[in-house]
Amino acid sequence: MSIIEVKNVRKSFGNNLVLSDISFNVEKGQVVCLIGPSGSGKSTMLRCLNLLEDIDEGEIIVLSQDINKISDINSYREKVGMVFQQFNLFNNMNVLDNCVLAQMKVLKKERKEAEMIALEHLDNVGMKDFAYAYPSTLSGGQKQRVAIARALCMNPEIMLFDEPTSALDPEMVGEVLNVIKDLANKHMTMVVVTHEMGFARDVADKVIFMDDGLVLEEGKPQQIFNNPQNERTKQFLSRVLQADL
Amino acid sequence: MSLSKCFEILTKYFPSFLLGIRTTLIVALTGTLIGLLIGLLVGGIRAIKLDKTASKTNKIIKAVIDGILKIYIEVFRGTPMMVQAVFIYYLVYTNIVRWDKMFAAIFVISINTGAYMAEIIRSGIQAVDPGQNEAARSLGLSAMQTMMNIVLPQAIRNAFPAIGNELIVNIKDSSVLMIISITELMFQSNSIAGTTYRFTETYFVTAMIYLFMTSISSVILNAVEKKINHTRTSLPQSDTSIESIVIAKKGADHVNN
Ligand SMILES: Nc1ncnc2c1ncn2[C@@H]1O[C@H](COP(=O)(O)OP(=O)(O)OP(=O)(O)O)[C@@H](O)[C@H]1O
Ligand SMILES: [Mg+2]
Repeated sequence: MSIIEVKNVRKSFGNNLVLSDISFNVEKGQVVCLIGPSGSGKSTMLRCLNLLEDIDEGEIIVLSQDINKISDINSYREKVGMVFQQFNLFNNMNVLDNCVLAQMKVLKKERKEAEMIALEHLDNVGMKDFAYAYPSTLSGGQKQRVAIARALCMNPEIMLFDEPTSALDPEMVGEVLNVIKDLANKHMTMVVVTHEMGFARDVADKVIFMDDGLVLEEGKPQQIFNNPQNERTKQFLSRVLQADL
Repeated sequence: MSLSKCFEILTKYFPSFLLGIRTTLIVALTGTLIGLLIGLLVGGIRAIKLDKTASKTNKIIKAVIDGILKIYIEVFRGTPMMVQAVFIYYLVYTNIVRWDKMFAAIFVISINTGAYMAEIIRSGIQAVDPGQNEAARSLGLSAMQTMMNIVLPQAIRNAFPAIGNELIVNIKDSSVLMIISITELMFQSNSIAGTTYRFTETYFVTAMIYLFMTSISSVILNAVEKKINHTRTSLPQSDTSIESIVIAKKGADHVNN
């Protein structure tokens, strides 16, 4: 059974219909990339998966439960990690505390244990030496790696990424994508909104092309990138792939 | 006006001035502190954003509370503290309990300051970038935990200059509380002037004492602010405890195979 099932989801902000009818599935261990033009509703879709937005119609089943019907949102969220374009580290605490806070407050872990888990994840993303640094002293790529480690500290079953490299200087994109690739190799279930077509081609098990609040096409990366069926997918890809050159 | 006369009044009535200073400082300091607590509570509640998925009842309750708090803030910022002091003092005195004047004074200055602090804290909170709030929520922290651990500490830091300014304002404006005859500096000065008939000299001394108290306060507040800002931007000290913590479990127990 799929770990995420999105069924006929509809969502508007006021009169602005952002998601008109979205359906897709994510299997356990899969990496699914959401691509599409700006304003097509990718971030909104991702935010709905983490209940940062609610939906108007349809159903989202995650880990066998209808997430819009669960009463304890916080315990749902702890299982679904999210990484944002703007990193969103807590500026009033150092890197280690960024990773420790939710473990202690939400998972009720002892500080010592939480620190060990945090250091382990920081080590995996190459940021252990910065455990006592404050976010304001880090580069964008470093901040994003910490943000990923922070989410992993909750031992989530699913990770959501919303354009994790879009706010980075080009030379830092690689270090962050490598961390995400590592996770893919460890079979973390991930939904990644990205403009990095190379990354989507290399890492995704499935690519979903969204436009105007609809899934216009989905399939394996080779299929979407080499042999797109939908006219708008073709246009979009020729635009972004050209820009990549 | 003669300076020597000023000096004479100061030395002769020093104990009276000192009592005035003491009362003024007690009222201003406790008023600012309690006001800050009220402000944190009121500003914090006003700034809480319910989840979009919150129930209708909760949304209504929140709206009602917000409305009441808004009225409190408008009333206390929109009327003079002198009027608040006499009104509240006599209201309670004649209808409820014959309360202590000093207690009444601290009560009035606290809720008055609270109204200003609430707005200071609220704008401090709004200056904290909402992304951190979302990140905290996405980790499973509740709205309350997010407010206490992430938003408020940064809001207080942002708002520190304005909070400190309230202390200075209170040192000066507690003078209006003489209207309910507590022995703060202005009240004491009035009695001294009444005995000496040296109004100019007496009030010159009074003004100098106020200036002295506010200057010292700003020096202290500036030092504290520097310290707070320093800890925010200070570079990490190398800390050997990282190395000493044994990483027990290498590898990836977070991966769900
Ligand atoms: N909180 C909100 N309130 C109102 N409108 C919103 C809100 N969030 C998003 N929108 C609107 O929804 C539409 C889709 O936005 P969304 O951020 O999901 O697009 P996107 O595909 O992520 O685009 P991008 O590639 O630029 O990030 C846009 O028109 C946007 O203005
Ligand atoms: Mg987006």
